[in-house]
Amino acid sequence: MSEPDSPVGRRGGKIDGLPKITGAARFTDDLTLPGMLHGAFNRSPHAHARILSIDVSAALALPGVYAVLTGADLPTPYGVIPVAQDEHALAVGKVLFIGDEVAAVAAVDQETARRAAALIRVEYEPLEGVFTIEDALNPDKPLLHDERRRKGDTNVLRRVFQKYGDPAAGFAEADVIIESNYDYPGSTHVPLETQVALAQPHPDGKLTLWSSTQIPHYLHRIVSKVLGMREQDVRVIKPDVGAGYGGKSDPFANELCAAALARKTGRPVKFILDREEVFYAHRGRHPTRMTLKMGVTNDGRITAADFKAWAAGGAYASYGVVTAYYFGVFLPLPYKLDHWQFESHRCYTNHPPCGPKRGHGAIQPRFALELHLDKLANAIGMSPDALRLKNCVEPDTETSNGLRITSVALKECVDKVLAASGYLEKRGKLGPNRGIGLATSAYMCGALHPIVQSEMPQSAVQICADRSGRVSILSGTADIGQGSNHMLAAIVAGRLGIPETDCVVLEADTGLTPVDLGSYSSRVTFFAGNAAKMAADQLYAVMRAAAAEKLGGEDVVMLGGKVFRESAPEKALDFAEAVQLAEERHGTLGFVGHYKPPKIGNRFRRQSVGPSPAYSFTAQVAEVVVDPETGFVTVERIWAAHDCGKALNPTIVEGQIEGCVYMGVGEALAEEQSYTKHGLHRAPSILEYKIPTVFETPEIITIIVESNDKEGPFGAKEAGEGPQLSTVPAIANAIFDACGVWMNEAPFTPDRVLKAIERRDREARRASFDGA
Amino acid sequence: MLPLPTFSVLSPRAVSDAAQMLTDHPQARLIAGGTDLLPSMKYGLFTPPTLIRLGGVSALQEISVTEAGGLRIGAGVTLRAVGRDVRVLSLYPALAAATRTIATSTIQAMGTLGGNLMLDTRCAWYNQSTFWRGALGGCLKCHSAPEGAICHVAPKGKGCYAAHSADTAPGLLLYDAEVELVSTRGARRVAVAALYGDDGRDWIRRAPDELLTAVILPPPPAGRVVHRKLRARGSIDYPLLLTAAAFDPDRGPRVVVSSVGPRPVELGGVAEAWEAGGVEAVAEAAYKQVSPLSTHVWPAPWRKKMVRVEVRRALEAAISGV
Ligand SMILES: Cc1cc2nc3c(=O)[nH]c(=O)nc-3n(C[C@H](O)[C@H](O)[C@H](O)COP(=O)(O)OP(=O)(O)OC[C@H]3O[C@@H](n4cnc5c(N)ncnc54)[C@H](O)[C@@H]3O)c2cc1C
Ligand code: SF4
Repeated sequence: MSEPDSPVGRRGGKIDGLPKITGAARFTDDLTLPGMLHGAFNRSPHAHARILSIDVSAALALPGVYAVLTGADLPTPYGVIPVAQDEHALAVGKVLFIGDEVAAVAAVDQETARRAAALIRVEYEPLEGVFTIEDALNPDKPLLHDERRRKGDTNVLRRVFQKYGDPAAGFAEADVIIESNYDYPGSTHVPLETQVALAQPHPDGKLTLWSSTQIPHYLHRIVSKVLGMREQDVRVIKPDVGAGYGGKSDPFANELCAAALARKTGRPVKFILDREEVFYAHRGRHPTRMTLKMGVTNDGRITAADFKAWAAGGAYASYGVVTAYYFGVFLPLPYKLDHWQFESHRCYTNHPPCGPKRGHGAIQPRFALELHLDKLANAIGMSPDALRLKNCVEPDTETSNGLRITSVALKECVDKVLAASGYLEKRGKLGPNRGIGLATSAYMCGALHPIVQSEMPQSAVQICADRSGRVSILSGTADIGQGSNHMLAAIVAGRLGIPETDCVVLEADTGLTPVDLGSYSSRVTFFAGNAAKMAADQLYAVMRAAAAEKLGGEDVVMLGGKVFRESAPEKALDFAEAVQLAEERHGTLGFVGHYKPPKIGNRFRRQSVGPSPAYSFTAQVAEVVVDPETGFVTVERIWAAHDCGKALNPTIVEGQIEGCVYMGVGEALAEEQSYTKHGLHRAPSILEYKIPTVFETPEIITIIVESNDKEGPFGAKEAGEGPQLSTVPAIANAIFDACGVWMNEAPFTPDRVLKAIERRDREARRASFDGA
Repeated sequence: MLPLPTFSVLSPRAVSDAAQMLTDHPQARLIAGGTDLLPSMKYGLFTPPTLIRLGGVSALQEISVTEAGGLRIGAGVTLRAVGRDVRVLSLYPALAAATRTIATSTIQAMGTLGGNLMLDTRCAWYNQSTFWRGALGGCLKCHSAPEGAICHVAPKGKGCYAAHSADTAPGLLLYDAEVELVSTRGARRVAVAALYGDDGRDWIRRAPDELLTAVILPPPPAGRVVHRKLRARGSIDYPLLLTAAAFDPDRGPRVVVSSVGPRPVELGGVAEAWEAGGVEAVAEAAYKQVSPLSTHVWPAPWRKKMVRVEVRRALEAAISGV
């Protein structure tokens, strides 16, 4: 049901957009409480060291200091993934990277807190550092997490091996086999708002924690666990958040320490990270080394693939176990592939911990595979688009690794970007140093299986219709700028035929809103959207029945703020009148809806990570110019077609696609978490960590494609992450078209591109010499 | 946001007052736009107890034509005002261009020409927070470095190679500009070419009690001066390499390269190279003479290759502008 004047499918600003533009929005740092203290950390200057002693006396003696905490005060380990509880709020026994939190201070103001933190004396015994994948795989190197010690143990957190079909037979069928190594860099999220938490203790022993989190539910559970409190005594509230991109999915030391310091001092404590500290909190993209071997027949059928990946994941597990699975699970999608295998290693190193970043675990294999497809297409003399379309997954099928595929509009995405960009006419013909490249991809719409095993719903929404005609929506979702509040309002309002501005959304308050698992894995629209729809359906049915009785006929519709019979539209009730009628008949109008993904049978029991109720699809074309003397790459234009199922609000979907492309351009051109050989971050500032400015941002042409998924709310899937997957390989393929070099290593910095061009020229000279 | 350390502020109205304050408060630092000074103070690179604010000294804010037919630009004139001044635009276009490649337009509106010429040298191992430098163990340029600190760029050396990063300096050098320095002891003039030294810790030949009051430009040379800046992105970034080239049909080319060490360097042997092989030979001579070090996050070997490219491009532009 998507009427032209329904909020579903209508363009426009978000319901909560104006306050952000005008400055009225309240972010966590805008909150101030009477008697509030401020927190600061003492951090480790060593990448790997044993803590011999900590002397906090000078800090405590400083006037204005109220409390100091060390690891001994918060000994309970935690981690988002149940099998990887390897973190502490403050280091216990050892420090594992430069920037690891060792002690926390609460003082009257930030300056005093920082000064006090610097007065804490810590005695260390430095240990040998583990900085590379070779180090991590070496059983002779010290282990980061001592408790894992078994004979022959290495710093591998998780190794995953999966095999489908018969890869050897698949390779035997191939006419052409290519094998290459790829390197994808670590990168970080750079949200505008840094992490901020504010904790308030209550006289009855309870606690309220406001935080810039994107997953209030996990934070709620872990704060309770680490502080030894009952969950019902802890209330987590997420105010407006200035973006996350995955970087606010873990519980952070500032949140846990704000809570613990508040309990210890009896005063509210605010704990804000500065920009440099966000680079240490990190949880960004895993730097990943990969090898990919793939075979193809002369007529373009992919016959087999063998993929290996090693990720240097930093000091803690974060979501790293999941990353190791995603590397392989998402390798083939969006293509059919019957015979393949992968092996992945997620390692610990003495660096800031990696975690989930937009396109989590799928960006790196996509980069390798999409470059590889262009190489194979070249080798068999087939157009890259034809090779892709030939192998594209079909709707309503199952992949070889057991993923249930429903709606797919990839072909339409490819057709549309080819037409819009002129790819077929331009490829190979743009002349020297200008080129065009294509890539396609797919991404999930929420993880089928929750991180913490449970049969309970993964999203829930409660709605209440007021006699005024206003509808309130309560949900545990976390809008971090992506527009989930607007999505909820559009779905409820769309069902009830009222403007979305007549809805009030109250979200992300564990004291008031029903549980939602949070903003990750592109799950919110599909999961919470369906929960909202379920609640709205019930209200709709009750109101419709009451109106039918009053209007004397069953053909009642609710549209444009009116309730009327289709056969007699002139006799319309106002929405508020219809609410009142329904309330008279039914009592107070409150309904709950929830979403539990369908039980999708999977032939492979081990496959608990990766399945999703639906997948989004993307095709992108990039046009680039390469300066062959400097190596600078300019991305001039990107055409991005995305199958989001249904654009509940096309403006917001376009914004998400543009944001994904922007982030992809940054990862393609320059962004890199780079460390000295001692593990010190080389550029922990947004002056030296090179996110694109407006000058590096290409013109972005977005094309929305709607496959109307049968199970998505009003047909919607996702748009927040999937569109980033194609960007980097499309740029790499365009660089090849421009100057004939394969950029197997990202980012494509001038230095790397120039070296590749020089190598190309050396090889050409050698070839002509040999030929002569 | 990083907190600033506490300090007091003095606000002179006249150049003589400012000079007197500098003499009376040897620990004080001058602050013009503050766009270099304040970020450095937030990083704890130095913590002056007193700042002498030059914003109220109106004599520093003027641009005037000299008797010789050149320009005198007050040290306190903002980069934006310099870049938009019609006299600067027509007589010294490379200076106007340089002001527009500095940082961002908002910073150009605050930053001054004097502050730019007095800009601290920069290094990837130095322009970092107190915590970061502590974890590194400091370096020779850090005032608070522990005993035994080394230079991370040249670990065996005794000097500091932090990079001169002021965009306006190479062009001003080719315009044969001078600066006026004033103290309670009097005023003197120093050529921009002679203003800087070879150690990144002590790179300005300016006495601690001296104040930069103006940049004095002689009438422009025959031929064109061109400013080029190599940077990671199209905005905000400090230079990876600065190049200025001048071409006078009678006297041949001149080339200055900067951001490769503590001072801008006018290349030697340019006339000979030009005679022998034109632009390519000059670019090659530059490549041989200039060796960038690992003072920047982006790799030095690539920056060295860029010397050849940037010098050639600058010189070609200077010649084609004749
Ligand atoms: C993000 C960012 C990017 C930047 N990028 C660039 C860049 O690309 N290129 C570049 O050149 N600069 C850059 N800068 C530095 C700075 O903005 C400019 O150099 C600016 O011109 C400095 O002028 P100011 O008036 O703000 O100097 P201030 O910060 O006020 O002073 C700088 C120094 O000069 C001294 N000083 C100031 N005036 C006088 C005077 N009259 N006499 C004697 N000493 C004086 C001060 O004591 C201080 O040591 C950047 C700054 C930032 C924050
Ligand atoms: S060049 Fe050496 S001494 Fe100078 S700032 Fe850099 S690391 Fe320090």
